[in-house]
Amino acid sequence: MIIIALISLVAGVLCGQFIFDTNTINIFSNVSDYALYILMFAVGISVGTNKQVFRKLKEYHIKIVIIPFGIIVGSIVGGFICSILLKKPLNESLSIASGLGWYSLSGVLLTNLGGAQLGTLAFLSNIMRELFSFLSIPFVAKHFNKYTAIAPAAATSEDTTLPMIMKYTSADVAVMAVINGVICSAFVPVLINFFFNLF
Amino acid sequence: MVILIIMAIGIFIGYKYFNEKYSGLNGKIQILCTALLIFSMGVSLGSRPEFFSELATLGFESVIFSLIPIICSIFPVYFLTKKFLDKKKEAKK
Repeated sequence: MIIIALISLVAGVLCGQFIFDTNTINIFSNVSDYALYILMFAVGISVGTNKQVFRKLKEYHIKIVIIPFGIIVGSIVGGFICSILLKKPLNESLSIASGLGWYSLSGVLLTNLGGAQLGTLAFLSNIMRELFSFLSIPFVAKHFNKYTAIAPAAATSEDTTLPMIMKYTSADVAVMAVINGVICSAFVPVLINFFFNLF
Repeated sequence: MVILIIMAIGIFIGYKYFNEKYSGLNGKIQILCTALLIFSMGVSLGSRPEFFSELATLGFESVIFSLIPIICSIFPVYFLTKKFLDKKKEAKK
């Protein structure tokens, strides 16, 4: 998936810079809205079809939320630290960190809210979060505990990084990773809108 | 907000009516839409003449914006799961 993403990005940039005229560029900004709607609908169907998620939800009950809770709080604190280190506006930093690794959505949302440069930064930061998750999951699973292997992956733990989590932990943790991914993903658009408009 | 409503409708349909033999197709649609989204984003980024000069700064900033939230996520999840989830397992043993 990450390879498809990178190819699409590079192809898009090259087309935008060298090939497309202004009209075609405008068409693509409309297309991206509809693609996002279809994507969210399809993701919703995936979540709804996965009945195991609902069973685990009943089993762990409220305790299931401690992983996404830790991830969201940690990421926001991380965004706050980035804001100080890079001298960026707090609302932008917290919104970027609220992407939780979901690069396509956070990129599009923050392009709409704050312009192309902020959107690019959100996209790159969150695609790198996914990339570094791949690399850090084996290390975290070994040196912390197996649940913590979900933490770097955040919202991506339900799809792209799931195979990696499954490989280095257990099926049990993988189901929790799916649930975590669903909860984190649901919070991404809410948190981005909230933090961007807060300050 | 519209996005969340659309997603909720998807979850409802997936839970109630969706035939699982189409889940492969559903997965492909997701990949296609994601690729299209990212391509469109690339187009809007690349249409800015100053894009390549910005990339040098943005590349460094995005590494910081990915690593620090990852590190900050690991510790709370570790302490919370150690306190609440590992204990439950020990009790079961």
